[in-house]
Amino acid sequence: MARYTPPTQGKLGQIIDVIVLLIMAIGALYIPLWMGLAGSAVTSAAVENPTWESLGQNETMVAQWEKLGFADAASAAEMITARFDYSFSIGALLAMIVVIVGYYAILLRFSEKEYRDVIAEKFED
Amino acid sequence: MDMWNLLELAAWGASALFGLFIVIDWIRTDSTYSEEILMSSREGELEAMTEESHRG
Amino acid sequence: MAQTDTTEHVGLARVLGPAHVWALGVGIVLVGEYMGWNFAVGKGGAYAALMACWFAGILYTCVAMIDSEVTSTVAAAGGQYTQAKHIVGPLMAFNVGLYLVFAYTMLEAANAITVGFLVDTVATMSGHEGGLDQRPFIILSIMFLAWLNYRGVLATLTFNLVITAIAFTAIIILFLSTSGILGMGEMNHAALMSGQAAMPYGWLGVLAAMHFGLWYYLGIEGTTQAAEEVRSPARALPFGTLAGVMTLAIAATLTWYVCAGLMPWEYLGQSGVPLFDAARLSGSTFLMVLLGIGTLFATLASANGCINDASRAWFAMGRDKYLPGWFGAVHPKYRTPYRAIIFLVPIALIFALGAPLDQVITFSILSGLLEYTFMPLNIILFRRKWPLDTIKRGYEHPFHPLPAMVLLGLCGLAFFAVFLGYGTQLVAMIVFYIVVSLWFHFWRYRFVNRGAQFTMPWPKPRGY
Repeated sequence: MARYTPPTQGKLGQIIDVIVLLIMAIGALYIPLWMGLAGSAVTSAAVENPTWESLGQNETMVAQWEKLGFADAASAAEMITARFDYSFSIGALLAMIVVIVGYYAILLRFSEKEYRDVIAEKFED
Repeated sequence: MDMWNLLELAAWGASALFGLFIVIDWIRTDSTYSEEILMSSREGELEAMTEESHRG
Repeated sequence: MAQTDTTEHVGLARVLGPAHVWALGVGIVLVGEYMGWNFAVGKGGAYAALMACWFAGILYTCVAMIDSEVTSTVAAAGGQYTQAKHIVGPLMAFNVGLYLVFAYTMLEAANAITVGFLVDTVATMSGHEGGLDQRPFIILSIMFLAWLNYRGVLATLTFNLVITAIAFTAIIILFLSTSGILGMGEMNHAALMSGQAAMPYGWLGVLAAMHFGLWYYLGIEGTTQAAEEVRSPARALPFGTLAGVMTLAIAATLTWYVCAGLMPWEYLGQSGVPLFDAARLSGSTFLMVLLGIGTLFATLASANGCINDASRAWFAMGRDKYLPGWFGAVHPKYRTPYRAIIFLVPIALIFALGAPLDQVITFSILSGLLEYTFMPLNIILFRRKWPLDTIKRGYEHPFHPLPAMVLLGLCGLAFFAVFLGYGTQLVAMIVFYIVVSLWFHFWRYRFVNRGAQFTMPWPKPRGY
């Protein structure tokens, strides 16, 4: 098998490649943000006239809340009632599994193809 | 203008100094040494030494 | 050795010992005990966070064992990237290299943001009015550490060793003085974790907590990046890495114990600086100052290690032309990959000054998770292509393939945990990696030497 000789990349080509990579990376971070899809859903239940008892806090907890600077139940109510929403659809879960498994499948397939060339050239003699 | 404002200014100044040092040294290094020397490191040198001579 | 022929040859300097490896690994991660881990409490309650801590501990023990075996054989800058290149193939290596660079650069940005926040908090507590401009402090921390890294690896990691040791000692002192071992005991675990506070989300919460459970240890695998600068990689790397995981398991448990015994879980789960809060609750000014300093040192140590690791990975990819070859240069005097260090400074600044903290952290965690999923594939292929009798390993991990299977299973769980709440980021992230992979396979790979990138003196792999 003939040795593969890679072309030399000029300065401009190198710069362009770095910029392309950067655009893709920054895009991956900011596109979910722009589309408003990022972040976890946390909801707080509004409680009328909360007391420590109605928020389910026992004496020890109340003492620690007060030490932390929450003088009464109302000031801590929002923090105490905040809850994540863990409901999800099976469809979304399946989509995620397909994407992850598909990604690794692509990786392993292409890698294997490239790897065979590497080994063939390295151990040809 | 209290201590914290002064600290802010000091932080700006120090950042600039560190940045300046890096950039000056970078330019000086790139112009002093040939690209060939700068690029001469090879992967896994410790192991490769015993096995085979380096490929250029 | 590499230094002997500097006239025609400039390589990285082999100057580090096992303690530096420990400092690099633990230094990056320890900040996780000072901030971030407690979001696991928010996602599932205090018990769930402890369980997540231990599950993540098992995950990282597998990571450390697998990594140590491969690394004791593939000792080159770039760590997992170089491993992937030799064992799985070029495209995998390119992806792994990017995981490393992004996981570390994002973590570095998160640390710089925390430094700014901490300085602002201290200024407010000392009575400063009108708020503080956090930007100069964020920039200063990145510039200073980049300068340190630029000047040489020995000073960088010795600095890390000192500040990591101080931050670790601060956690121990806090534990000793609040747990009742030294006088005043103030722990209230039973009362704070009774009733609804025990398992607020049930078992689903335990699963969900795995997401931030990773934060207790994230980054420990970075020790392998030092492989080309350690005096005896086959010994120092396994030792430093395994010692690091043990240190972190201890620190994580102590941290959990102190915080869960002092704060109601609803507060703890949303706190910005949980250990500092714990010190505040103890009522001792000494502890408060100590843990404040600990927080600052932990963030700096972490950012420092991140610059070190990210630049090694970027450098190694440049050297192989996976990235533009210009980055593959070594500074002739300081013996550092200086162009990679310089290039990553503005990148870290963009994210530290422009992106929200939780986004940055999630980007970092996800890159780490993708990397851990690669590791079991890596070790299975490694053992298959080069069985134990074909290459001498500095360290052989026991019970193969059990750790690989456990790791794969736990990664699956962690993906599900991230999916609960951050599914969109997860998909966006993987779409990014798919697009980049296609770009690499069909464009970038043409600049890479085929056979020459395989540098290990190994026999031909089985099955080829």
